[in-house]
Amino acid sequence: MIFSDSFEFTCPIKTNSGNKSLEHLPVELDALNAKRPLVITGKELVCKCIIKKFAKAFGDSGMTIGIFDGVTENPDWKLIDDLKKTYSEKKYDSIIALGSGVIVDVAKMLNIAVSLNVDSRKIVKDPNVKGPLKPLVVVPTAAGSGLETSRFAHFQGTVFSSFHLMPALIIIDPRMTRAESKEEMAVAALAAFARSVEAYIAKSKNPLTDAYAYAAIGFVAGNIAAAVKKPCNKKSALAIANAVAMSGTAMSNTTAGLISNLGQALVEMFQLPYGIGMGICLPHILAYYQKKGGYNIASLLLPLAAPDQYAATPDSSKADKALAIVGDMIKELYETMGNKIPKTLKAAGVPQYMLEDILEKLSLADDATFDKEGYLSVIKSAWEGKPEA
Amino acid sequence: MSDLVKEVTAGGKPLKKVYVAIMLWFVGRAVQAAAKADKDVKKEFEALPDDFTFALGVLPKGPWMVVGKEKGKVKYLGWNPDVKKLHLRLDVKGIESAILMFTFQESTTVAFMHNRVIANGELPYAMAFMRILDIVETYLLPKIIAKLAVKRYPTQWSFGRKYGGRVCVYTRALLGF
Repeated sequence: MIFSDSFEFTCPIKTNSGNKSLEHLPVELDALNAKRPLVITGKELVCKCIIKKFAKAFGDSGMTIGIFDGVTENPDWKLIDDLKKTYSEKKYDSIIALGSGVIVDVAKMLNIAVSLNVDSRKIVKDPNVKGPLKPLVVVPTAAGSGLETSRFAHFQGTVFSSFHLMPALIIIDPRMTRAESKEEMAVAALAAFARSVEAYIAKSKNPLTDAYAYAAIGFVAGNIAAAVKKPCNKKSALAIANAVAMSGTAMSNTTAGLISNLGQALVEMFQLPYGIGMGICLPHILAYYQKKGGYNIASLLLPLAAPDQYAATPDSSKADKALAIVGDMIKELYETMGNKIPKTLKAAGVPQYMLEDILEKLSLADDATFDKEGYLSVIKSAWEGKPEA
Repeated sequence: MSDLVKEVTAGGKPLKKVYVAIMLWFVGRAVQAAAKADKDVKKEFEALPDDFTFALGVLPKGPWMVVGKEKGKVKYLGWNPDVKKLHLRLDVKGIESAILMFTFQESTTVAFMHNRVIANGELPYAMAFMRILDIVETYLLPKIIAKLAVKRYPTQWSFGRKYGGRVCVYTRALLGF
């Protein structure tokens, strides 16, 4: 392993994962000095039975919890202001996000508002998050984007970034993480996989991001086939949920690369879920990285294959072997899914005339390593689904 | 907006609480009984301090079991953990975790490994308690269930020790001496 002279790593998250881990929540909240949590969730986004199971987990704790289940796909700043007012009036002291994606973004925004005592206008004017925030707990459900445990929050077109936004606690309970459909599971797994791969081969990586990324890649590679074939399978769904959580931590401690930036661009421009966009582009980006050089693609073989296979493969073939495993894994996933998830950007509804616009968006995100021709060939080959650039 | 935030007060789980309370009460008295009936339990307690007291219970409000040494004798001291200074306090993180332990879906060792128990006190005392509890559960439970509850079922025990000890522990535990 290449060990850099100095590095930084931040992960304030305590993780409780496993059978009945949700029932530990009252004790964990007590450890965070939290006695009256406000739960943020969305009945349109999270199954009612999950909300019921969650409330039952507080049984015998003596706690009173407030539940707001009105989060929708497109929340606005008025919601944050209203929730802040209720939070202050009813004297809540912590926030629990029950769900994934936009629910966690709302919870993070609310946490900024109530902790720093600012309204939405001030947050928009000055998106820098200064200082520690109130305890935030995340209880993810299956449809994770991987950003739940990250230092990022996306709200109304603005990206907020601060280590203070990372939750204090994440509870990964198999009863919460069972996916309702194969698509949901596949999209979450692909997002976790793509982010972890990027963190693992990033130039800004360190031994601690390696640990998280390695585990996440291994969990996805070892469980994605079973999880997608049977989304109700507790063991594989739990493994994918853990991988999603770990990928968020790993990506928060490395610089965003082409995989993340392209995924973000596809979300913003075409509302393509992270997992779908990054899953389509991943093999093409890895091939581009291998051709360009400077990225340790060969190291990917270790978390993807068994250690004895890694040891038996000659150094000169490790990168090709790793790419082949990634390609086979994604190919098998697409075969299982049939036409339910698109295999190319074209099938995902991205018009050809907008490929240059995607490139322009990438140029704004990434000045330092922007390679116009290389990135355009990646986008084109991802659009056509042809063999990698 | 305040109408959209529903306040939910956590209900109780009375049946589960009663079950765990009965289990703790009986196990506490069985530990007192085993300290007289079994040489290994006697030896473990001899290695502990003279006024050693430990409590095992469920957060946040019980039930609890308190066992301690008084004048060299091991006694079940009831279910109030605040009555004496405790050398070891084992808090189970909630009634559901306690149910997993006391319905033997998870052995005590596995429950510790799954972070379902918070140990306040010195680690050697906690280890001694685990060994004592394993022996007590071997006496109390039929083999098929005891194998789920203990770390390693003692297949080397003689017939006399196992069944004679079982009769002795049950009798003493029920009669409280």
